[in-house]
Amino acid sequence: MQFPSLRQVLAAFALALLARGAGAAELVVIVSARSPIGPLRADQVADIFLGQVGRFPDGAEAFALDQAVGSPLRNEFYDKVAAKTPALMKAHWARMIFTGRGQPPREAQGSAAVRKLVAENPALIGYIDKSALDASVKPVLLVH
Amino acid sequence: MRAAAVLAGLAWAPFVLADDAVTRPSWSLRGFGSAGVAYADFADADFNASILKGNGVGHSGRWSANVDSRLGAQLSVKANAQWSAVLQVISEQRLDSNYRPSVEWANVKYQATPDLSIRAGRIALPIFLAADYRKIGYTYPWVRTPVEVYGAIPFSNSDGVDASYRFNFGSVKNTTQVFVGRTDLKLPGGARIEARKLAGFSDTVEVGALTGRVSMLTTDLTFDVLRTFFDSLAAFNARGAALAELYAVDHKRANAFSAGINYDPGNWYVMAEAGRMKTRSFLGDTTGVYASAGYRLGDFTPYLGYARVRSNSSTTEPGIDLAGMAPQAAAAGAALNDYLSWLLTTVPVQRTVSVGTRWDFMTDVALKVQFDRITPQGGSRGTFTNVQPGFVSGRSVSVASAVLDFVF
Repeated sequence: MQFPSLRQVLAAFALALLARGAGAAELVVIVSARSPIGPLRADQVADIFLGQVGRFPDGAEAFALDQAVGSPLRNEFYDKVAAKTPALMKAHWARMIFTGRGQPPREAQGSAAVRKLVAENPALIGYIDKSALDASVKPVLLVH
Repeated sequence: MRAAAVLAGLAWAPFVLADDAVTRPSWSLRGFGSAGVAYADFADADFNASILKGNGVGHSGRWSANVDSRLGAQLSVKANAQWSAVLQVISEQRLDSNYRPSVEWANVKYQATPDLSIRAGRIALPIFLAADYRKIGYTYPWVRTPVEVYGAIPFSNSDGVDASYRFNFGSVKNTTQVFVGRTDLKLPGGARIEARKLAGFSDTVEVGALTGRVSMLTTDLTFDVLRTFFDSLAAFNARGAALAELYAVDHKRANAFSAGINYDPGNWYVMAEAGRMKTRSFLGDTTGVYASAGYRLGDFTPYLGYARVRSNSSTTEPGIDLAGMAPQAAAAGAALNDYLSWLLTTVPVQRTVSVGTRWDFMTDVALKVQFDRITPQGGSRGTFTNVQPGFVSGRSVSVASAVLDFVF
């Protein structure tokens, strides 16, 4: 039996508070439970996922981890966090790639895979279905 | 044992990160292209997307695939978190009308810090909002970037060095880029355009859905294709020499300035831009502006556009005073004057009204159709090339275009 750390308890509590105000929310942005990163705003998350900022607010390097292209979770994420349709995201990355300014985030297949990779690496930030949350990761933004 | 494992895990964390797929050496080969066809309702000149193409649509044919078609490939290599390199090759119609591929970019990038990068080699010129991706049709809503503004600087790259620094100020993201370089363009027949001592900066600000960019460049420009004419003019008399000095593009300081904004909250966009190009030569001093707005309806983005370019310098020149000259000299002088006047009609004065739609009908592919009503004005031939005797400045003409843009 392993007791959750104080940080995990606080994180769970914070999430419960966030969820209470959120009703139908299904998506949650996560970092590793080992990461010192606190709650993030949607625009801060969007900056990292759109390749416009390479760091967390505390200055640590940040790498986005995407859901598979075409997945409903991914489409909903970009619609709500960046107000971009899949076609606009494609155009955005075509601009970034073909101007040498960046490459799209690497992808993982499904919430469990994203959670596992994020849990292992404090530099990663991902998003998963809320139902896939566990103590290995820490929610930093609830998307609704 | 457990504590040791945790400590080992902590100690290893940075190495695990460094070894992760996000930072390890990688390469990618990607491509982009546009398959376009344009139709013109006129035949006394060619409309084209760039003056650096051999022909266009109109005089060279009522239908043309040359205006907007191109194919590009880009090889990117990332050695580690600091070093990367890119090679971009594009095939599109050139001035000699063939599609021989040319190297658009070939540069090495050093990411000194997450916010500061330095590149050396052949680099995109960051003039105008869409300058660095103007060849990738998939990235913008229209069939082509507005010729009234983007046509002012036909070069899209330079050979040199640039540095790019980004910083955030609250929710404001700022990227400042400075560059120095040179570019040479070989023309059919051995002539060339040379832009030497090219230097400039570009500053891009993003605040939420709003993007703004101002850019400036200065260069020492030489365009020796008309050397014979200007030599004859200079040899004619003192006034001819003064005119040659005034209009020849021989180591002339050329300055360009642009400012643009794009607001794109998701289901609609507006974009507007102004650019000024001052050359102190027969290429003129022009100001181009455009504004465009579109609305996204599912996979469709219908849009409207208006663009205009006008000359800030006089586009008429009385030339050499022929009064009192012997008939033979006066005839030669008149020929020189006529040619000079004709040259000044190439300074673009024009407006275009555009309507079109983009259709994102499948992943990585967009179909666009666009209708342009173009009016060269004030005696100018606008942005038209291969102008024939029947061409009339002031008459509106139409171009209809369809293009399939893709990335892969």
